[in-house]
Amino acid sequence: MVNDRGQLYTMEGVAAGIIMLLTAYIVISTTSIYTPGDTHIPDMQLEQLGSDVLAMMDTPNSKEDDESQESDLVTYILATDKTSFRAMFRDYCNMRAGSGDDLKMNAYVYFHDRDTGTVRSYVLDEEDHATGRENAVRVTRWVQLPERPDNLPMAVTDIDNRPQAVLLEVLLWRT
Amino acid sequence: MAYMNEDGQWIVLMGLLVAVGLFFLALIINQSALVGQTTAEGVLEFPKNDIQDLRTAVFDYVDQFPYPGDPRVQEDIIAISLERKNSLVDFSVGPKVQVSGRDLYPITIHYYNGVTKYDETVYY
Repeated sequence: MVNDRGQLYTMEGVAAGIIMLLTAYIVISTTSIYTPGDTHIPDMQLEQLGSDVLAMMDTPNSKEDDESQESDLVTYILATDKTSFRAMFRDYCNMRAGSGDDLKMNAYVYFHDRDTGTVRSYVLDEEDHATGRENAVRVTRWVQLPERPDNLPMAVTDIDNRPQAVLLEVLLWRT
Repeated sequence: MAYMNEDGQWIVLMGLLVAVGLFFLALIINQSALVGQTTAEGVLEFPKNDIQDLRTAVFDYVDQFPYPGDPRVQEDIIAISLERKNSLVDFSVGPKVQVSGRDLYPITIHYYNGVTKYDETVYY
């Protein structure tokens, strides 16, 4: 008759093997820490939030279908109204229940310089200081301007005075 | 050598099985933090907002500069797209044609950022 007492020792050996494998796996995997920030989920949400806010700001307030009715965004860029732009953008971003948000932003306007054939930029909002280490997302919006904006910074006062399309870029990050 | 009773080993083995089961359950809870990663990366990579924004810009352009349009504004959009969005953009507006009894501008839009390609012909 075959004796099956050895089976118990085999299973014991298998169990010991599994324990050793698990130990090795845990030890090796501790060297890399995977956090929810690596999953890009907050980035995706932040980018969508920023795009929605820019779309809201670029919606004309008037219900009249009049070409001269400009959206808040166009008005602020035309007047280079940094304070109002920042206030409205942050206000729309923080429209939610509960306490305020720790959202930080920078905004730049990019325009096409036909004389040199280059794309240049100026600052629309740089109140929050970026160190370059933030995990920032970029949201953009095309803006059609009928003329040269007012109150431009000194370096870009030579921007063409003509109808033109400029690109508004907003960098968003949380601290 | 005394006789050894090995019945207790089964209890130890069953205890081990339960422990391993709990370990895998913990692993599943651990991984649940990562749910949505692929979705989020897919959303980030696909330039949905870029394309929607470009369409809006082109329609705004046609509103303000009906055919034949203003080539300077068109060049602005093309140049800034290439410089700031790494995307090759082209669009053209034709003279009005009759579509379903209405006079509309035929617009062709081309967008390519190296990953996603988008072509559209729309009557606006």
